[in-house]
Amino acid sequence: MQLFLQQIVEGLASGAIYASLALALVLIYRATRIVNFAQGEMATLSVYVTWQLNQWGVPFALSLLIVAALSFVFGAFTFRFMIRPVLGASDHTMVVICIGFFIGFEAIALWVWGADPRAFPRIFPDHVWIIGGVRLTANNLGILATLCVMTLALSALFRFTRIGLAMRASAAEREKSPLVGIPVETMLMFGWGLAATVGFVAAALIAPSLFLSPPMMVSVVIYALAAATLGGWDSPAGAIVGGLVVGVAESLCATFVGFIGNELKVGVPFALMAAILLVRPQGLFGTTAVIRV
Amino acid sequence: MNETKVEQMLRAAGACVIALGLLLVPVLFPSFLVYQFSLTLTYAIAILGLNLLMGFNGQISVAHGVFFAVGGYTTAIFMTRYGMNYLATLPFAAAMSGLLGFVIGVPALRWQGLPLAFITFGLAVLVPPVALKLEPITKGATGISLTKPAPPAWLPGDQDTFIYFVCLAGIAVCVLLAWRLMRGDTGRSLRAARDNGLIAESLGINLSKVRIMAFTTSAGFAGFGGGLFAIVNAYVSPESFQMTKSFDFLVASIVGGITSISGAFIGALFIVFLPDWSADMNIALSGLIYGGVMVGMMLVARDGVVGLLGTLTRAAIRRLLTAPRSGKSLSAQTDEQPDGRQYQT
Repeated sequence: MQLFLQQIVEGLASGAIYASLALALVLIYRATRIVNFAQGEMATLSVYVTWQLNQWGVPFALSLLIVAALSFVFGAFTFRFMIRPVLGASDHTMVVICIGFFIGFEAIALWVWGADPRAFPRIFPDHVWIIGGVRLTANNLGILATLCVMTLALSALFRFTRIGLAMRASAAEREKSPLVGIPVETMLMFGWGLAATVGFVAAALIAPSLFLSPPMMVSVVIYALAAATLGGWDSPAGAIVGGLVVGVAESLCATFVGFIGNELKVGVPFALMAAILLVRPQGLFGTTAVIRV
Repeated sequence: MNETKVEQMLRAAGACVIALGLLLVPVLFPSFLVYQFSLTLTYAIAILGLNLLMGFNGQISVAHGVFFAVGGYTTAIFMTRYGMNYLATLPFAAAMSGLLGFVIGVPALRWQGLPLAFITFGLAVLVPPVALKLEPITKGATGISLTKPAPPAWLPGDQDTFIYFVCLAGIAVCVLLAWRLMRGDTGRSLRAARDNGLIAESLGINLSKVRIMAFTTSAGFAGFGGGLFAIVNAYVSPESFQMTKSFDFLVASIVGGITSISGAFIGALFIVFLPDWSADMNIALSGLIYGGVMVGMMLVARDGVVGLLGTLTRAAIRRLLTAPRSGKSLSAQTDEQPDGRQYQT
């Protein structure tokens, strides 16, 4: 029982990270109907920049803040210069472009920083509480808290600010929004920037345990894709729930299902994704698209 | 002589030049390069399969390395465990991955579009861990070593040349098959299903059947290529079938042109020789070029090198045929020059 609870706690912590990356994917999908396979690689680049700033003597907290802002610019520029020219093209084109980003950004990280894994400092202190035999680390709690804060901030942004309203409008009605004076393209750029920052947070949280290396986020992207699919691609709340479910399922399967173990645990999100797509393609919280003929 | 006729003749001439070039490879190049050309051919078969699925039928797959791996392992296992002749294993390699293609193709009917991209992306990531996990069959990380087939005594030339010609024969069969498929009713229904499923269905095409058929055939091609790869390389391990292999095929398919058969050769040459050439300068260079090419191609030339060549030659033919007639048509011609692309669409 203790092991079971412990695995749930661990699962929730890694699930929170998957949820953050899934949130980034969903933000982009809602704005531009694109699934950005390269979200993880973009985040890896950002984390490398943080590491570099830190190496150069910039205080850790300050470098996190600087890079959060830089990530926003990076996301917005990626959209402006490489996605906007083909906006509205087929899914097929978009998938190819995003896989191109995936390969390209990973290569940039490899080029600049090499293949050797680097240690990335933990954001939260090493403190452990033991409650009823279950170890709660400050790191795990910190990750969950970060996810909560980020979710609240984003929902507040979308619900209570003008810019949030404009972003929702541009995502929902790309043709009609300009008629009421919304600068749709700026809003879509904003959406991509926001997603890049959210992705950066996810990568900065997971980097200490995975070690920083160019392909660090490859498997995390699979978990995030599964989380977003599970929750429904147009639902940020779904992405959070999906991420936590995927994290817990992974951790429980790796411990209690002998055949899966540690080596095959990347199969868990895959199986969840395949199953939900067969049973309920729109995801748990998603809405069905109605196609008029 | 009209434009289409000239174009057809040029196409036929181009095919002859490629065929002749492929036949002459062992004479023109040293034996190490012949080995690399054999690899190129095995990749080209898988890419051809990907083109059938993605270019002609419009289903996304980021996972052709998976089918390639299944074919490679099938050949390797049948040769070492059951002592089968290397040629006899190839139909099994194609059948096994065709079967996997069928197993994925059926649910893929519900996953058209983006979901199919996630699922295949996931599959591509899963190959190495699964190959490691199935250690009793795949020998895990050590991999399976094979003996290269020896050339028959009556044949001149060394082993590499012989294997090259085996691959050439293999790809000839595949190209012929693909060409037959694409020209007939099957090809038309595949393309109709890609361009507009709804209209295709109302014209009496069984959409599900066509899509499953496309997935199975395409996977079968990739498996066949994988089988040949195992023979050429004489060794398979999870290392040979990393996720990057699937991406390489995608890059190659895009570079060559997803709706062409000859594009598969160009794409395969690209992914075999570029990494070798660029690794001398920087290990990350090939990735950077791949990424840049994928994004760039989508921005400017979605039909790849072959599509680009086609557009250029069509423009050139038009110019040659119309120019001598009268000054008027010449001026009309120059007006149209800047947007040669519009002509194609």
